[in-house]
Amino acid sequence: MQAAASFKRWLFRLYGPEVAPIVLTQRRVYVLPTQAGLAFAAALGFMLIGAINYNLSLGYALTFLLAGLGLVTLLHTFRNLVQLEIAPGHVEPVFAGDTARFGLQLHNRRNQGRFAISLQVEGGSTVATDAPANASTSVDLPLVTHRRGWLRPGRVTLASRFPLCLVRAWSYVEPDMRCLVYPRPEQSAPPLPLSASGESGGSRNGQGTEDFSGLRTHQPADSPRHVAWKAVARGQQLLTKQFTGASTTQVWLDWNALPPDLGAEARLSRLTRWLLDAHAQGLAYGLRLPTREIPLGQGARHFQDCLEALALHGD
Amino acid sequence: MSLLSSLSTDCSIRLKSYPPTPMPTSPLHAAIHHAGRIVLGKEHQIRLALACLLARGHLLIEDLPGVGKTILAHVLARLLGLNFHRIQCTADMLPADIIGVSIYDRNSGSFQFHPGPIFAQVILVDEINRATPKSQSALLEAMEEHQVTCEGETRPLPEPFFVIATQNPYHQIGTFPLPESQLDRFLMRIEMGYPDQAAERELLAGADRRDMVASLNPCMEPGELIELQRAVREVHAAEALIAYVQALAEYTRRSPEYEAGLSPRAALALLRAARAWALIDRRDLVLPEDIQAVLPAVAGHRLHAASGAPNASSADIAATLIAAVPLP
Amino acid sequence: MATSTRFGARQTTVRRTAARRTTAESPALTRTQELWLFACAALTLLPDAEHAPVWLSVAFGAALAWRIALWWRRAALPSRWLLAFLVAAGSVGIFLTYRQFFGKDPGIALLILFLALKLLEMRRVRDGLAVIFLCYFLLLTHFLNAQGIGVAGFTLAALVLVTAALASLGHSGRRATEHLRLAALMLAQATPFMLVLFLLFPRVQGPLWGMPADAYSGMSGLSDSMSPGSISKLSLSSEIAFRVKFEGDIPPKPALYWRGPVLSHYDGNTWRAGTRERKVSLQDTAPEQAFRYAVTLEPHNKHWLFALEMPVTLPPDAILLQDYQLLSKTPVRSRIRYEMQSRIDFRTGAEESTASLQRYLNLPANNPRTRALAAQWRRELATDEAVIRRMLDYFRQERFFYTLNPPLLDENGIDQFLFETRRGFCEHFASAFVFTMRAAGVPARIVTGYQGGEQNPVDGYLIVRQSDAHAWAEAWLGDRGWVRIDPTAAIAPSRIEAGLASAMPAGEPLPFLVRADLSWLRAIRFRWEAVSNTWNQWVLGYDPQRQREMLSRLGMHDPDWKAMTAVMATLCGFLLLGLTFWALHKRIRIDPTLRAWNRLSRKLARIDLARRAWEGPTDYAQRVAHAHPELSQSMETIAALYIALRYGKLDGKAELQRLRELITNLEIIAAQ
Repeated sequence: MQAAASFKRWLFRLYGPEVAPIVLTQRRVYVLPTQAGLAFAAALGFMLIGAINYNLSLGYALTFLLAGLGLVTLLHTFRNLVQLEIAPGHVEPVFAGDTARFGLQLHNRRNQGRFAISLQVEGGSTVATDAPANASTSVDLPLVTHRRGWLRPGRVTLASRFPLCLVRAWSYVEPDMRCLVYPRPEQSAPPLPLSASGESGGSRNGQGTEDFSGLRTHQPADSPRHVAWKAVARGQQLLTKQFTGASTTQVWLDWNALPPDLGAEARLSRLTRWLLDAHAQGLAYGLRLPTREIPLGQGARHFQDCLEALALHGD
Repeated sequence: MSLLSSLSTDCSIRLKSYPPTPMPTSPLHAAIHHAGRIVLGKEHQIRLALACLLARGHLLIEDLPGVGKTILAHVLARLLGLNFHRIQCTADMLPADIIGVSIYDRNSGSFQFHPGPIFAQVILVDEINRATPKSQSALLEAMEEHQVTCEGETRPLPEPFFVIATQNPYHQIGTFPLPESQLDRFLMRIEMGYPDQAAERELLAGADRRDMVASLNPCMEPGELIELQRAVREVHAAEALIAYVQALAEYTRRSPEYEAGLSPRAALALLRAARAWALIDRRDLVLPEDIQAVLPAVAGHRLHAASGAPNASSADIAATLIAAVPLP
Repeated sequence: MATSTRFGARQTTVRRTAARRTTAESPALTRTQELWLFACAALTLLPDAEHAPVWLSVAFGAALAWRIALWWRRAALPSRWLLAFLVAAGSVGIFLTYRQFFGKDPGIALLILFLALKLLEMRRVRDGLAVIFLCYFLLLTHFLNAQGIGVAGFTLAALVLVTAALASLGHSGRRATEHLRLAALMLAQATPFMLVLFLLFPRVQGPLWGMPADAYSGMSGLSDSMSPGSISKLSLSSEIAFRVKFEGDIPPKPALYWRGPVLSHYDGNTWRAGTRERKVSLQDTAPEQAFRYAVTLEPHNKHWLFALEMPVTLPPDAILLQDYQLLSKTPVRSRIRYEMQSRIDFRTGAEESTASLQRYLNLPANNPRTRALAAQWRRELATDEAVIRRMLDYFRQERFFYTLNPPLLDENGIDQFLFETRRGFCEHFASAFVFTMRAAGVPARIVTGYQGGEQNPVDGYLIVRQSDAHAWAEAWLGDRGWVRIDPTAAIAPSRIEAGLASAMPAGEPLPFLVRADLSWLRAIRFRWEAVSNTWNQWVLGYDPQRQREMLSRLGMHDPDWKAMTAVMATLCGFLLLGLTFWALHKRIRIDPTLRAWNRLSRKLARIDLARRAWEGPTDYAQRVAHAHPELSQSMETIAALYIALRYGKLDGKAELQRLRELITNLEIIAAQ
């Protein structure tokens, strides 16, 4: 097995991730007849025997024309792949168990389109696409994820039987791409440890500037900008508008605060669930892992940083 | 790094025979010259700021305090003969503090509008990330629309209207960083950086900068500036150049290096800034070099490295982008 | 914005649209692909309607209509049991029709049956491929019936359609015109391969095994017997018997006697060939006076070959009988071509012995009146020549008619003809003449063959049709040997001088195209026949012999199959190489200004100053000027001109030309 794999690597010149853009040069596009191609060849053999036996001059001509067609197909199929440029595209992080989609860019720098190119990540399902002339096409290659961390798709097979299904041209590329796989959120996790953690807190009654909360009588030190002038205009006394702040509940997602009998992956899974909940509820949260601590924060960037820390824990 | 240094150097080749360039930009160059004598060693930033102004965009300066952000804004306003206001943002600032309030006048029995500091031609919004999102959006809306709406009444802002906002990237506690959608409202984001040794020595030895600003005379009339803004739009961008802008935008959208690509608005901004840059460079046509010169400032705050990649500066991001996209 | 797309992935929204998913199994046929396959089957089997049994054509039409109806209503395909029953029924039908399953016609019928069946059960692309391959094979079988230019044209058109259908199986999303264009392009590219293989593939003379008996039915021509009416029937056909290409002049028309079967045995009604004795040697005197020509003989499934009287050389694989009849060793079952030399002044039969001559005097015991007349002439006249002359005078002076519609004759047919009806065609005259001569004691025999021929002014070939079939006589005149005597010439000299049409009285039914009055039609026919003769000569007649001729003309002397295969492989390799260049060739139109600028970069690359891919013109000019100050002046001018042309509004041919000149004239001194 080992020897076969290394032979294959040598044969198809696979030496690890390649620098983009990857051009499918003629030396790395392989062609072989398909089953249909072999059947076609067999049919041609029968036709040739028929032509010889009955001295059919036109039979020879037809058989030879079809044989020429077979050779021409070889080159058409080869041409459908050769000189195609491939560059890695966007890869969105996913949660373990979801399908990662590896974006690939196919640049066709030719005045003719390329058709029915099928692409496949090892272990993933096949996706077929056309690459129009002088244009770039994006393809998403699906691959189901199982483990958190960086997922590399490895070898991508590009193949085509266009135009006549008689010949298959294929090539292997190894674009330098990886997908960040977050831990799978725990399905039935306990609720967020809002009260359990002593550091959670914050109040909803403090002063702030964000939301209007009411009016009180004016005091001389109040800013004139906070005076409710509309009330004054209605003939009321001077009133001052009061605001409450946007101060938020804080929660620490702490690895060490989890039950001691929980395994590492289970801990990460639960923390991921809590992180999703905290983000969804708009809380301020921090993450405490054995090797890393992310301070309290909010927002998309912070959320991503936390997820990334969880995904790459222990790497 | 050689790429970066070549990007920041001025394009010094003058076009003698083609095309004949009757450029009415001498007041502009006088302004650059005078500004360079006060804001020492920062000619590239001055040019960028000026290009931003000529392209009718707004400028975000991200740097430490004390590197000359305020002086730059002051000098520009002074040299171009524009009036100048400064807004110092704080957490308790309200939109009314920027826009202005209507105060009930008991004598006349009616509301009277007291315009806020935004009613000026050049506004320096200091530490914009200290303002609450509410105030930020009020300000940014005014920047976008060139008008303010207060108590149901729409009031136009003066022309030209140029906002220079600053933010301090290092002390983020208790701040409200501008969301990415709002960052897009700024045509450029630049960093001032420390002055080099020679410039700093001259700064220390020289006169007080504030006095120098006070003694500056305007180089042009406000009308002239509006004329220049119009001229920017006339600068020719050939098909090959538009293809280049398109290729750059395409690349950012497709490449895995970025979280999200440049929007069509960003591509437009790039072209607009490049036109202004070309005009400052006394040309009536845009060159790829113009695009490359303004790219760090225009695209830096609009592009983010994808997750997992090291956080790169906007200059690095622009440099790799330029190197990755061949000229069409 | 970034966050929204981040979660977009979780909701498995596919942002990109072009991707289609396929399964590992052969994918199901789309409706469009099915339509393609119906069209293929219908077009492929169209010519078979003429040859296949009627019930099979009807059954196939019904099956196709049924399948199309199912397609239209999106209904389910018939069950396997029903299909199995249909196969059984069809096979029984074929067996009842042909009484066998082997052979040409039952084979084709079985293929048609399979095709109908495959249409009824096709669900996946793999089934579609089977239909396509069956169609290719069925296209070949059409050539068993006809190989004319029209059939070839039809087959080519069908080939484009079938290939387009094959292309549609490879990609279901493209338009029909795109498939057709691609198919036509690919077939055009395959044509050079076809020509090379056709010319050089080592030909084997078929058949590889014994032919089924039905292979050569329906070929017309002379037979090895002659009874009253057999030649006149043949004369109504304007089919071509053979074509002759003379190397020099064509002999005069009255000398154009094409010798076929010689008949010496008479049973009172029918003349048959006598015993066959092979002639050993040919007297080859003065071959320089001989006419050299090549005959292209249409297949007639008999042994004899036709030659101008009298042949002095033999084609290979042919023998000459004692009575100067030329025979091939195998029946002529395909069009063959052979080269001959003949002399029209000849003397034959000097070596006949008395015993052998006795054969040519045998007569059955009927026709008493003729015998009496012959006996009377024998008594009155001194020499054999005088008897012959008397006989011909008799034909001339009595009221004999030359007609294609002679009355029927009974058992004393010659008596009836000579004394009562006096109306006949050439076989009547020849038969009566030979009978009378034998009765008078002069050895005589019937010679059948063709007389005359028509020269095609387009390609110079002499065309001999079935309507030129003729019968004449030979009489033995001692020291002069066998002498040709054509009694028809005595009755209707114009038959020999000008052909059948001029010899026939008006109102006789003649082959349409033999008529003399339709000259414009004849002109068209000549042209068409010239084309189809070329086709026959070079395409259909391209057999092992022709191949050797052709190759030795092209400089390959005495080519064997090894040499041919080697040349064939080499040529195919070259063709493939050419196609590979085509496949790798990219055609990108670039701005001429940019092309000039790229040339500058290539030029400067010699001093390691190639332009970087992202480098703008002023940056580049500056960098070059910095590295090579002596170039700064010219670089500045070139860059300024380039900028104006590419990034400015300048759009002038003159300026572009100047830019090119500047770049050409830029002198680079490589730093040592």
